[in-house]
Amino acid sequence: MTIRDKKVIYGLYDDEQDLLKAVKAANKDHLDILDVFSPFPVHGLDPLLGLEESRLHIAGFIYGALGTLTAFLGMTWIFTRDWPIVFGGKPHWSVPAFIPITFETTVLFASIGMVVTFYVICGLGPGVTNPTLDDRLTDDKFAIAFDAGHIDSGAAESFFARTGASEVNTKIL
Amino acid sequence: MREYIMPGSQRTLLFAGMGVGVLCLILSWFVGTDEFHTRFWTNLLHNTVFFTGISFIALFFICVCITAWAGWYTLFKRVWEAFSLFMIFGFVIMIIIALGNYMGFHHLYHWNDPDSIINDKIINHKSTFLNKNVYMIGGLIVMGVWYFFARKMRSLSLAEGRDGDASFSYHHTARVWAAAFLPFAGFSSAFIIWQWVMSLDAHWYSTMFAWYAGASWFVSMICLTLLVLLYMKSKGYYEQVTGEHIHDLGKFLFAFSIFWTYLWFSQYMLIWYANVGEETIYFRHRLDNYPVLFYGNLLINFIFPFFVLMRNDTKRKFGSVGIVAVIVLFGHWWDYFLMIKPGALHTAHELAGHGHGHGGDHGGHDAAHAVEHASHFVSGFTLPGLIEIGVFIGFLSAFLYVVYTRLASAPLVSERDPYLAESIHHHV
Repeated sequence: MTIRDKKVIYGLYDDEQDLLKAVKAANKDHLDILDVFSPFPVHGLDPLLGLEESRLHIAGFIYGALGTLTAFLGMTWIFTRDWPIVFGGKPHWSVPAFIPITFETTVLFASIGMVVTFYVICGLGPGVTNPTLDDRLTDDKFAIAFDAGHIDSGAAESFFARTGASEVNTKIL
Repeated sequence: MREYIMPGSQRTLLFAGMGVGVLCLILSWFVGTDEFHTRFWTNLLHNTVFFTGISFIALFFICVCITAWAGWYTLFKRVWEAFSLFMIFGFVIMIIIALGNYMGFHHLYHWNDPDSIINDKIINHKSTFLNKNVYMIGGLIVMGVWYFFARKMRSLSLAEGRDGDASFSYHHTARVWAAAFLPFAGFSSAFIIWQWVMSLDAHWYSTMFAWYAGASWFVSMICLTLLVLLYMKSKGYYEQVTGEHIHDLGKFLFAFSIFWTYLWFSQYMLIWYANVGEETIYFRHRLDNYPVLFYGNLLINFIFPFFVLMRNDTKRKFGSVGIVAVIVLFGHWWDYFLMIKPGALHTAHELAGHGHGHGGDHGGHDAAHAVEHASHFVSGFTLPGLIEIGVFIGFLSAFLYVVYTRLASAPLVSERDPYLAESIHHHV
């Protein structure tokens, strides 16, 4: 998710269990969470935030199928039309010999395709600098961020105080 | 934590299934086309190997999980223990078959034909390994050790369920035994598969065969676990076994179906590529005379589970994973059918050729080929007939009967297992 030119108020938590409790409390109070940050995937967080299941694997399947077709049809064309050579007395169209390469190409296409798709969706890539909310979020802190334009700052601060946040900051991203 | 009580209707149903099995076995003694009753003996061997293997793999997998400090399966580990205790019944039948090598009950194994031992160069060369004494004594040793470990793991698990505690004391003991069993299981299962199954095609060998057959057992074991769990859940037992556990079992089913295919294909491709006559004959024979079984095997055990179980939700939904488990279980039974029947039929024809005075190695060989080419369809050999399905149902019922009586004989859930909490809160 890319956030640009937005005033964000966020609270830092020391423990992922506190974070989970705070997210539950925010849901209960109908506070609109902008995003949650964590150094590692927290178990059970996705359903609380109402995140949909990723569709990246569907793209992965399509890339994989493309890899299968590319390798199989490619080899078929090369070995039967373009440059037929007899290998060990086998027929030109030797399906068993094609399988390992088809398999490898499927994996290659699926993996590279998914990585590229993931980078594009996330706005990542070489030379791209993404604003960080707080450097400690890559180490041992967890954060809940609200859009400061959508929440009363007093309400946000009382929420953070109530749910045991160790620190509350604002930042313009 | 409820105890399982086997309802009378289930008992009746399983006994009926066993009755069908016995009836079909008796029928297969009489409908066979050859004097050796090969159809009867191959049915017996086929199903015994299949279900004993499932039983062995369940024990193997319990030991793997204990060695790896795994906890997710603890809720339903009694099911695998119950599976592992079936093996003794399989062993009884295997001992009968081993005795048959001495008494001449059957002519399943070409290497046991006295004429071939002398005149057939290849069989003569292999006779230090492929002979009735190794089959009997080696088999007894392996079966004895397997059964000892099955009992040992079961008794440790029961003791842990009764008075285990958070100090993991029983688990440490169980872990030592499990770690001792694993290397033995690895080598002995290959020995057993070579002796029981691969040696049916006595001229042929493949170094991948034991892995391939073992993977087949593993997939079947996971299928049966899923089916037993889904059945138990439908009867109100194992409420705490959730979609999370089923999901993990579904992943095992998916992953090991691919693993099986990998081994199946590697074995096939290397032999196809190298094109050495004495190796390719195995597949030539199966491709020419058993095409439906050969390609169907791949379709039912790879293509089908691969595409159905690829999605996340089909591994979790009881309906879809259950249907895949039924079909793939049958698929691997079919796989064993293809491993066992062609070789045994060929041997029977070859020996029949000898018996009718053709004499010599080539006479028998040619006669066997002539018979196979003359008739492309031999019910019970080139395709499973109704009798084979009946025997399968019989063995399945016997297996399930043993499993359910063992489940009823102990608490369903190992209550004081230190891993129980982890298993209850399992989340993928």
